[in-house]
Amino acid sequence: MNPAVFGKFAAVSFQKEIAYRFDYFMAVLNGFLYVFVFTALWRALYAQGGGAAGFTAASITAYAVVAMAIRISFSMDDTTIAIKVRDGSIATDLIRPVSFFMMNLAQCIGFSAFHTVARGVPILIFSIFLFKLDIPFTARGAALGALSLVMGYLILFMLNYLFGLIAFWVIEVFPFQLTKYGLLNLLGGSVIPVDLFPAFMKPFLVLLPFQHIFYTPAAILVGHTAPERALVMLAEQAAWVGIMGAASLLAWNAGKSRLVIQGG
Amino acid sequence: MAYTIEAQNLAKTFTVNESGKGLLGAVKALFSTKKRIIHAVENISFGIGQGEFAGYVGENGAGKSTTIKILTGILVPTGGVARVNGVVPYENRRENSKNIGVVFGQRTQLWWDLPVRESFEILRVIYRVSKGDFDATMARLTMGLGLDGLMEMPVRKLSLGQRMRCDIAASLVHRPAVLFLDEPTIGLDVLAKENIRSFLRELNAKDGTTIILTTHDMNDIEQLCKRLIILDKGRIVHDGPTDELKKKFPHDKIIEVDFENEVAALPLVPELEPIRREGNKMWLRHAHGPSGLALAIGKLASLYPVKDLSVREPSVELIVRSIYEKTAALPAYAPGEKAAE
Repeated sequence: MNPAVFGKFAAVSFQKEIAYRFDYFMAVLNGFLYVFVFTALWRALYAQGGGAAGFTAASITAYAVVAMAIRISFSMDDTTIAIKVRDGSIATDLIRPVSFFMMNLAQCIGFSAFHTVARGVPILIFSIFLFKLDIPFTARGAALGALSLVMGYLILFMLNYLFGLIAFWVIEVFPFQLTKYGLLNLLGGSVIPVDLFPAFMKPFLVLLPFQHIFYTPAAILVGHTAPERALVMLAEQAAWVGIMGAASLLAWNAGKSRLVIQGG
Repeated sequence: MAYTIEAQNLAKTFTVNESGKGLLGAVKALFSTKKRIIHAVENISFGIGQGEFAGYVGENGAGKSTTIKILTGILVPTGGVARVNGVVPYENRRENSKNIGVVFGQRTQLWWDLPVRESFEILRVIYRVSKGDFDATMARLTMGLGLDGLMEMPVRKLSLGQRMRCDIAASLVHRPAVLFLDEPTIGLDVLAKENIRSFLRELNAKDGTTIILTTHDMNDIEQLCKRLIILDKGRIVHDGPTDELKKKFPHDKIIEVDFENEVAALPLVPELEPIRREGNKMWLRHAHGPSGLALAIGKLASLYPVKDLSVREPSVELIVRSIYEKTAALPAYAPGEKAAE
């Protein structure tokens, strides 16, 4: 897709989010609430000393804040595809000379950009001062973290895209979305850093893309991941981006001949 | 010889999962695999030349929209081939969409929350129209469709007629060679329809834009389309010049009568042929020329207790029905046959 078109879709989606002011204030409040709850929880758990999974009270608080800020910044509207199929308005997207995948990605980036600027970053900055977080800064860590953020974002986007395309096969996609939320909350790393999972959970982490959405970028950014380990995790992330990209393409090609336009 | 829009034996079937009645039926449907196959269109063939203005009509569910959606690349047919400007739309959707404009009367393609002007600006970027071309096109569209004063309004605040005019303009921002109009006059008042028709007539005549129009309004067809394709239950039942059809039913009028009490038959007025009855209401066809009409109505009113009465033009549906009855009278239609030009 040509960059001007991509930018236009993203900008329109960003503008649209600005329009919903009440939603915004509620969402900021909601974001702070999550940060307070999880930081309080981790501080209480680690107050007794000890250092499970290589975390200290201070470092796990930093992780919890950063992971939550990433999650808030990665806000996406994951209902659009299903809604467009359900009411037939997908027809008006398909008469345009644009890739459906890229159009959705552009709109998603516009949406997330708003939530990053308006919620994610302010909550992060506020929390750094409030909890006196000590996040070690290195140029290498920041660069690897930024790369990891981009890939984590793409993985989450494609996860939502694939779940959205389920609407081409079944009309009621909500049960699938619930399953997705469950797995994302449990394995994504925004609630629990995956180091804390028992050994028998490891296969699920490796065989599913979820840990690379929030855990990998957050762990790299707060300096929890050893430098060599960070490179391995980035490679795993890149593999998942490739796998899910291929899956998105296959699902689209299989789905488009099954599409039914509802409502004439 | 190459057609601008071409369909060869197009077919589209949908599989529908049958669900029983009520909760029990819904639960059963979870486990059963009872499927029903719906043939939306079957063996559709036609060729439309460059600059033609063709009407594509049929009752609800006849397959008009399905055909349009195949030709615009939204739906993939289950059989046959379609080509628009030499491009197979469902294989090269994006390539095809650069050459076509599409209007769905039932839904808007504009950005609901944004001012109209913004939608046009987005389309300008999508279709990569240069600023100069865009300004020239917009000036023409603004004049032709009366968009003055609408440009700053959010789309959701437009009336149906205003929205339709904006939607038609939106389909033409990139000056496509082919325009698909799927019920562009649905729900509009007479004046709004008239404005849209005169704009489309000019677009076809001056720019040579090839246009396919689906509609339920016979006036759209009579005033715009030189060629008429009639669809019934997914099959083409007529394809030919509109004039030819009009000659077959030149003076048909439909009389809608509301009687004081139920009337079973009208043996005393044989020139009025009953075609439908609903309680005290009856629909009658008069097919004997304009001069006999007043006489027939006078006779009817004097012989039967009439409460209300109105005279109508026959609807597309009625003409479709008449075609079955008079198949012999019309030139036989064979799929793939080239229409007179």
